[in-house]
Amino acid sequence: MTASVFEQVRNVASDIFGIPADKITAESSPETIENWDSMQHLNLVLAVEEKFGVQLDPEDIEQMKNIGAVAKLVEKLQSATR
Amino acid sequence: MAIVIQPYRPEHEPAVAEFNQRLRQAGADENMTFYRHAQPRWLPRTAESRIYNEFFVAIDGGIVRGGYALKSQEFLFPDERIRSIGYYHHPLSEGIVNKAHAIVGTLLLRDAMQRAPLLYCLGMGGYNNPLPQMLVRMGWAHCLVPFFFRVVNPSRFLRNIQALRASRARRFLMDLAAYSGAGWLGSKLFHHYRALGAPSSPAVESHEVASFDTDDIARSVQSLWEQARQTCSFAAVRDAEALRILYPPAQTHLTRIVLKRDGTPIGWAVVGERRSDSKYGDMRVASIVDCFALPGELFSVVRSATETLERQGFDLVLSNQNHQAWGAAFKAAGYLPGPSNFIFAASKKLAELLAPFDEVRPRMLLTRADGDGLPANF
Repeated sequence: MTASVFEQVRNVASDIFGIPADKITAESSPETIENWDSMQHLNLVLAVEEKFGVQLDPEDIEQMKNIGAVAKLVEKLQSATR
Repeated sequence: MAIVIQPYRPEHEPAVAEFNQRLRQAGADENMTFYRHAQPRWLPRTAESRIYNEFFVAIDGGIVRGGYALKSQEFLFPDERIRSIGYYHHPLSEGIVNKAHAIVGTLLLRDAMQRAPLLYCLGMGGYNNPLPQMLVRMGWAHCLVPFFFRVVNPSRFLRNIQALRASRARRFLMDLAAYSGAGWLGSKLFHHYRALGAPSSPAVESHEVASFDTDDIARSVQSLWEQARQTCSFAAVRDAEALRILYPPAQTHLTRIVLKRDGTPIGWAVVGERRSDSKYGDMRVASIVDCFALPGELFSVVRSATETLERQGFDLVLSNQNHQAWGAAFKAAGYLPGPSNFIFAASKKLAELLAPFDEVRPRMLLTRADGDGLPANF
């Protein structure tokens, strides 16, 4: 996972969950972020799609179990479209 | 383990029972349970069925984490084509009690959108609930389906309607109106005033039928559908075959009414007693679940359906009607518009076919029958 993509995902998550980016790590998940409920998960999916210009299938969404996994997924999808 | 969404099969039933038990143990509302049986009791899919329900479950290593139901049904579109579309209902995710499964709600909805890109939701209990909020956030087109009610028994209405009896002062005034007869008098005056402005129409023959399936009735409703479908921009197909499937004779709690004038069919309605609901106290509440009519005959159908329910002794009659002509007919028949929490939402792909949505919306025929209300939840 590149630092650049991780940083961008972290900033997206910071906006959605309303917590400082420096409090978000690759391991941050619904179990460690209080605001990460079903609604905010959808918001995260939509924000990632918009920010990175990717389309997430249910199989992709299923992998979004923590912030690090989201960043890895974005990298994978971006490299697949190049 | 990866979460996989797949058709609900009998071998999943024990895992669904455990899922329901986990929700209950975690304090979820008692209505929050997924279907116990894999085979839908309402509209099961058969080789020849045009209207059917299917269930899907989200499975994580053998453990069920959620599920949803998808009804497939043919609809008439503004371009006059008939398409089969999906109705997403009863989604349930373990995310409501355990944030570790927050992902499931999004997965269920995205899965349904893949299986049925022309997808809609109906009802949902108002915009404060999570599902409509999700749909709005995803850019679905949406609107409220207007709600209408007619008070038949003012005294019982005043003593039972919980939404209006919110304070001690209100309860006192409403009880006073109920017991003094002021409520009865006010209601009489209102209906008398409304009747003065109501359309005058020659008498119609109202026939209560046990089924839409007999040859004569089937021909009548088929003819009505073919003659009046052009009055709708968007509507579930309500031909003879659809009515046979939606309102089978076994549903004896429903009353099917066919209206004729001089022997010619002019419309039909399906009415029934609503399930008990604490917000209506111990009133007997009925619903005009569904109706259809020739142009110019809507008022006659609403009036006849209402009279049928009044004869059956109901205190209050409710209906949700989106089509503006039906809304006008209900108002003319003495119904009042009330606050609606009954939302119609269309996926982006469905909304593309309903564009421009604001222009198409007033002639979309949407009633309780298009939701998950049948056979008993209307």
